[in-house]
Amino acid sequence: MRIRDFLFRRYTVLTVVILLLLSALILISLRVKERKGVVFFDGLLMEICSPFQKTSTFVIKKVRGVFQGYLFLVDLHRENETLKKRMADLQRENDQMREMVQNQERLRKLLQFKETLSSTAIAAEVVGRDPSSWFKSVTLNKGEKEGIRKGMAVISPGGVIGQIFKTAPSHSVVLLITDYNSAIDSIVRRTRAKAIVEGGGENRCQLKYLLRAEDVAQGDRVVTSGLSGNFPKGLMIGEITKVDKKGHGIFQYAELAPSVDFTRLEEVLVIKEYLPPPPEEKGKKVKKTR
Amino acid sequence: MKKVIFPLLLGIFFLVVQTTWLTSFPIRRIRPDIVLILTLYLGISSPPISGGILAFILGYLMDLFSGNGFGLYAFSRPILFYGAQLFKDRIYLESVHSRSLFVFLFALAEGFLLLVLVKALNPEPLRNLYPLFFPVFLPQSLSTALLSSVLFPLFRKGSSLLYAQPGLGRGGKG
Repeated sequence: MRIRDFLFRRYTVLTVVILLLLSALILISLRVKERKGVVFFDGLLMEICSPFQKTSTFVIKKVRGVFQGYLFLVDLHRENETLKKRMADLQRENDQMREMVQNQERLRKLLQFKETLSSTAIAAEVVGRDPSSWFKSVTLNKGEKEGIRKGMAVISPGGVIGQIFKTAPSHSVVLLITDYNSAIDSIVRRTRAKAIVEGGGENRCQLKYLLRAEDVAQGDRVVTSGLSGNFPKGLMIGEITKVDKKGHGIFQYAELAPSVDFTRLEEVLVIKEYLPPPPEEKGKKVKKTR
Repeated sequence: MKKVIFPLLLGIFFLVVQTTWLTSFPIRRIRPDIVLILTLYLGISSPPISGGILAFILGYLMDLFSGNGFGLYAFSRPILFYGAQLFKDRIYLESVHSRSLFVFLFALAEGFLLLVLVKALNPEPLRNLYPLFFPVFLPQSLSTALLSSVLFPLFRKGSSLLYAQPGLGRGGKG
């Protein structure tokens, strides 16, 4: 009784502050250990909030479409009303059709790309982005119900996007390759030099553990090595933009520009089941090409 | 209850706006953190207990849609809330400049805290992240501070309309 009095009457605010910070620390600890309870609770809350996000994205797309469609018709206000209305109607129809053609073209590319993969892939739509500038992630409109699990590779016809980081029944969060916590096993296509692609923030990555002796140059393309398990071999990651051998040590520094423009990301493919190449191919030595 | 539900719904709305509308800005680095502005407003106007819990929940929700795997916002947002509570009577917050400076300093403080925590908690050593403070956090903190000069009066107006007094229950205990 005395302890309760002490805690909840004399030092109520202080107790709440300590309890809140302790809860946050416990949550951090549980997340590090990937406890199921926290994952379930996170998924549940995401499921509640994501529909709002989805609706908002839908509204933005619609508003943007209408805005873009009508923007250059402003000058026509001087012309007579009938002609303006007629033109506006035609323009809207035209924009809608163009949008449809663009959508179809994008989806066709995605479908063609999906058919080229020796794995089962799920197409998903981007419905939200990371609320902070520090971390780089996007929210997808597909989740556990569609078979998406943590760690699955996410790609687009342009190249590698990232990996599934969190899942909820019908939504999931993708950690982009530009995030500081992202790391993907890769090879330089021209020289077959091995390295790890790490996120470097705003639309930028860096190559880690790239041996100084390896021949790499600006403009070299970097692809997935197929060794990290989730990513099929040979998917485009990006192009080397900077090489620096000035420092000390056995490694050299290289910067990479991702092949995908993450600011315009709309649809992606989640690789559900990746079938690695047969063992005899794995054993073959890869000849260096220059 | 009304004093908890309204800010919570507003926080969820702000989070949705932050993850959708604000990310579609052409300049990627200028992305104000409107949930942070709300948390700081709660810090200077809400009772410590209900406000602290709200800050924790808003931080938790931020973590859900973020690529941050540890849940750092659930930790940093209550700290910012109580920081604001601590300084609210010591700083003059009636002018636009002082409010913006207040938000700017808190946004920068959160940036530092996140950097330190990310560095400390990551199992693999990350490269030196501190130089990224300028290209990432400074623009975000500045845009957040600028937007706060618009949002703070709106919050005040909104709470005076909702609760028939400015602030979200100033002086109460929770």
